[in-house]
Amino acid sequence: MNILSVKDLNISFNLRGENLRVIRDVSIDVKHGETLAIVGESGSGKSVFCKSLMGLLDANGHVDNGEIIYNSEDLVKYKTESDWRKIRGREIAMVMQDPMTSLNPLLSIGKQLTETITLHQKLRGAAARDIAIGYLRDVGIPQPERRLKQYPHEFSGGMRQRVVIAIAIACRPKLLICDEPTTAIDVTIQAQILELIKALQHKYKLTTIYITHDLGVVANVADRIAVMYAGEFVEIGSAQDIFYRPRHPYTWALLLSMPQWAAKGESLYSIEGSPPNLTTRVIGDAFAPRNPHALKVDFVERPPLFKVNKHHFAKTWLLDPRAPKIELPPLRHTPQSSDYKKTFDTEPLLEVQDVTVTFKRGKNKLDAVKNVSFSIYKGETFGVVGESGSGKTTLGRAILRIYEPSHGVIYFKGKRISGKISNEDDKQLTRDIQMIFQDPMSSLNERAKVESIVAEGLLNLGKVAKDEKRDKVRRSLSEVGLRPEFADRFPHEFSGGQRQRIGIARAMIMSPEFIVADEPISALDVSIRAQALNLMSRLQKEKGLSYLFISHDLSVMRYICDRIAAMYRGVMVELADTETLFSRPMHPYTRSLLSAVPIPDPEQEKNKRLIAYDPSEHIYDEELPFWTQIERNHFVYCNIIEAEKYKRMYD
Amino acid sequence: MFGNSTARTKVKQVAESLNAYSTRGYEALSKAEQFTEAEYLPDETEPLSYVSYSYWRSSLRIFWHNKTAMFFLFLIALTLLFTFIQPYIPNQKDPTLIHNDETGIQIINRPPNDEFIFGTNAIGQDLWSRTWSGTRTSLFIGFVVAVVEAVIGVVIGVMWGYARKLDFIFTELYNVFDNIPQTLILILISYVLHPSLETIIFALCLTGWLTTARYIRNQVMIIRDRDYNLASRCLGTPAYLIILRNLLPYLVSIITMRMAMAIPYAISNEVFVTYIGLGLPLSIPSLGNLIVSGIDKMMEPNLRYQLIFPTVVLCIVTISFYIIGNAFADASDPKNHVA
Repeated sequence: MNILSVKDLNISFNLRGENLRVIRDVSIDVKHGETLAIVGESGSGKSVFCKSLMGLLDANGHVDNGEIIYNSEDLVKYKTESDWRKIRGREIAMVMQDPMTSLNPLLSIGKQLTETITLHQKLRGAAARDIAIGYLRDVGIPQPERRLKQYPHEFSGGMRQRVVIAIAIACRPKLLICDEPTTAIDVTIQAQILELIKALQHKYKLTTIYITHDLGVVANVADRIAVMYAGEFVEIGSAQDIFYRPRHPYTWALLLSMPQWAAKGESLYSIEGSPPNLTTRVIGDAFAPRNPHALKVDFVERPPLFKVNKHHFAKTWLLDPRAPKIELPPLRHTPQSSDYKKTFDTEPLLEVQDVTVTFKRGKNKLDAVKNVSFSIYKGETFGVVGESGSGKTTLGRAILRIYEPSHGVIYFKGKRISGKISNEDDKQLTRDIQMIFQDPMSSLNERAKVESIVAEGLLNLGKVAKDEKRDKVRRSLSEVGLRPEFADRFPHEFSGGQRQRIGIARAMIMSPEFIVADEPISALDVSIRAQALNLMSRLQKEKGLSYLFISHDLSVMRYICDRIAAMYRGVMVELADTETLFSRPMHPYTRSLLSAVPIPDPEQEKNKRLIAYDPSEHIYDEELPFWTQIERNHFVYCNIIEAEKYKRMYD
Repeated sequence: MFGNSTARTKVKQVAESLNAYSTRGYEALSKAEQFTEAEYLPDETEPLSYVSYSYWRSSLRIFWHNKTAMFFLFLIALTLLFTFIQPYIPNQKDPTLIHNDETGIQIINRPPNDEFIFGTNAIGQDLWSRTWSGTRTSLFIGFVVAVVEAVIGVVIGVMWGYARKLDFIFTELYNVFDNIPQTLILILISYVLHPSLETIIFALCLTGWLTTARYIRNQVMIIRDRDYNLASRCLGTPAYLIILRNLLPYLVSIITMRMAMAIPYAISNEVFVTYIGLGLPLSIPSLGNLIVSGIDKMMEPNLRYQLIFPTVVLCIVTISFYIIGNAFADASDPKNHVA
C-alpha cells in the first residue's frame, strides 16, 4: 500500500531571470510504515523535493508538472494555504535541521506543545497538559512536568530537537519528514535521536522520509534509499541493494570514496570535479563528465530508469543490454588494516605544555581549554576529536596565537610562541604556522580576486615584484590542482571544493611547516571530501607538513591521523596512536564517542550498541585525576583507582 | 530572414551553450558505437563558471528596474543640473539685487510674469534666481554634511566595531550623547555662534554622525568575525589593511545609502533652524529662509506663490533623495537578489 506516490514531478525556480530546473522527472512510491532515505549532496534538490510535498516551496519556485498523490488526492492541485493546512502537520509533519529556529523562544515548551494538541486533537486545559507530558516522556525528556514550564533556551540542542519531534508527533501525522534532523547535533546525541525516531515510528505507526547527506545515518535508519544527483533519483533500492550491490556509477563511486574503509597511507578513490550547478543544462547522464567509466551514450541521451530487481532501479546506461561489461573497483565494507607506518623525528615540532585558555565575560570566567599538554612531531598528523564545546577549536586558535593562553606555554621548534614575542619571531611564525578553515564559503573574501586572496600572506612579508607575485600565485594554484588562470576570477565563481582549494593555496604560498586544520572537510559535500583529504596527504608527503587535524568525525580521523586526542569540556581525556585508540579505548567518553560514530554500512549499524557517557560516573572526591600513562604512548586523564582498572581492561 | 527576435534567440542559445554539458559530438555516432567507453577528460569534470553572480551587477539591476526610483533619479538629476547651469543662462538676475521700476520704486510682491518667472518678494528681489540660488546653498549644505557625517561616522564606527576593547567606552559615550536631543544641540550651537553657512554646517555635522557610527559599528561587528578575517589575521595582515580590504568593501552600499538619506535630513534641518530664527541671514538665500519669508505671505491668496515655489523645490529635492536612498538600500540587500 502506498501512502504517497510521486509521478514525473518537475520543479523549477526563477532566479535572476533564469529558469532553473531543480527537480527533473522524479517518480517514487512511499509505502506505509517504511523508512525512506533520500541521499544527495547540497544542491541536488532533496530538500526542495520534500518541501514540495508540504507546499512549502519558496515564492520563486513552482511545480511545472507531475503528480503528488497522497490519500488519492493530487497535492499539486492545491493552491491556497487553507488547502495545504489540511495536510500540514495533521497528515505530513516535518522535523527541520536546526532545533534553534524551529521553536518560538518567547513561549514555554508546554505552551507550544499544548497549542498543537488543542489544534489537532481538540483537547484543552488539564487534558491537553496531561497528553503533552505523555509526549515529552515519549521523546525521552526527564521530569516532563517541570520541563513543560521551561523555555527553549533552557534546553540543550539535543533536548530541543526532542521537543521539536514531540510537537511534530502531537499533530498525529501519518508521514514524518526529517530534513537532516541530526546534522546540527553532536555525534553521541545524534545516535540517541535516531534511536528515538525509530522507536516513535514503531509506536505511532509512522512512515518516515529522511533527507540527509550522511551515509552513516542512512545506513542506520533506512529500509529503502533513493540517491539523488542533479535533481534526479539516479538509483532507488533497499538499503542492502544500495550499500552492497549499487548499480549506478555515482552510488558506486560515493561508496568507494568513503575514508572509513580506506587503508592508511593509500590515496582515496576520489570523484573529481563537483556536481553540476542548477544553471547548467544537463544533456544525457548528469554524472557522465565526472565518471571515468562513462559511455559515449551517457553524453548524448538521458538514461531511462532500468529495473534491476523488483525493488531496485537505477538510471544508467550500464544496465542496457547493449552496454559493454565494465569492471568498477570492488567495494569494501570493513576498515583495511595496513602496515603503513610513518617515522617521525624524536624532537617535537610543537609542544603544548599545561595550557589553559580562559574566556572572561564580565564576572563570568570559562576555561575553554584546561591544562592541556601534548607534542606534535614533524610529518605527523595529530587529531583532536571532540563535540561542540570541547575546546578543540580554542586549542587550535591558541596555537595560531589568536587566543592567548592564560596559563602554560606553547613551544614551536623549541622556541616559546605564547605570550609576548619579538617582531621577527612573529613574522617567521606567520610563515611557519598556517590554517585551513572549515567553511569554504565564509573563509574567502568575496570582494577580492583569487590572486589577491592567495597573495595576501606573501605581500605581508615584504615587497614582492609583480611578476614574482603572479608566478607564485599561479604555482600555488596548480599545486592544489586548480588552473592557474583562475587567479583572475572572484570566489563566487567557484564551487565549495574549489574554494576549499583556494583556501589551501593561500596557506601553502607561505610554505608553512605546520598547519592547523579545523574541521577541514565537514562542510564539504560527500563526493568532494576524498579530493580534499587526498590533497592534504599529498602536500604532507611532498612538503613534510605536520597537521593538527581538528574534527568531530572519528571515522575520517582513523584514515588521516597518526595519533588522536579526545577532548571533553576543555579537558584532554585520552591520547593514543590511532589504531590503539580504536582497538583499546579506555576513557568512558572515548568509548561512548566510538560507539556512536555512524558507519556507512547497514549491517554494522544494525548491530551497534551505544555507550552513554555520564561525567558523574567518575568519583574524584578522594583521588584527584591527572594525565596518566597507562601503556606505551597511551595516556588517559584518570585517578589512580581508574588507572588500575584501565590497565586490566583489555587483559 | 534574421528578424530581431531570431537574433535574440541566437544570442541566448550561445549563452546557454556556454553553460551546458557538451555532447562531444558523440550524437553523430551509431548506437552501437555509443555503447562504448568514452574518453575521460578531467578538465570537464568541473563546471567552469560556477555561479554567474556579481553583487554590484545584481544590486544595480534591481535598482534600475525600480521605476519609482528611476523617475525620482531623473527628476533630481534634472534639478541638480539646472541649479548649476542656471546662473550661466543669459538674462538671469542677481538673487540679492533689489529691482526698481522706472520711477525708482521697488518692484515688490509682483506675481509671476514674463520678466520675473517666480515673481518678486516683499523687497523686490527676483524669486526665480533666489529660489535656484537657495537650492544651491541647501544642496551644498546637504552634500557637505553628508560627506562629513559619512567620514566621521565610518572612522568612528569602524574603530568602535573592530576593536573589542573600545566597545565599552564608545557605547557608554554613545548612550550619553544619544540621550541629548539633537534639536537642542542644533539650537544651542546656532544660538551661540554667529549665524553663517559654516555655523549651520558645523551644528548639523555635530549630531548626525552619531547614528551613522552606530550603524557602521553594528555592520562591522556582524562581518568582523567571519572566517576570512581570521584568515587574514593568520596571514599576518595588519588591522588597517583588514579594515580597508576586508570590511569597507562590504560597507560601500550601506555608506552610500546613509549619505543619500543624510542629504534630505540636513536640508530639512536647515529649514527648521531658519524657521526658529537661528539660520542663515537673508543675504544668503537658502530654501530655509525663502520658505520662512514665504510663510509670512501664506494668508494672502495672491502672494501665496512666494511660499509655494521654494516649497515645491524643497519637496522635489528631499523626497527624491529619500526615495532613491531607500530604493538603493533595498537593491543592495543580498536578500532581494534572488528573484
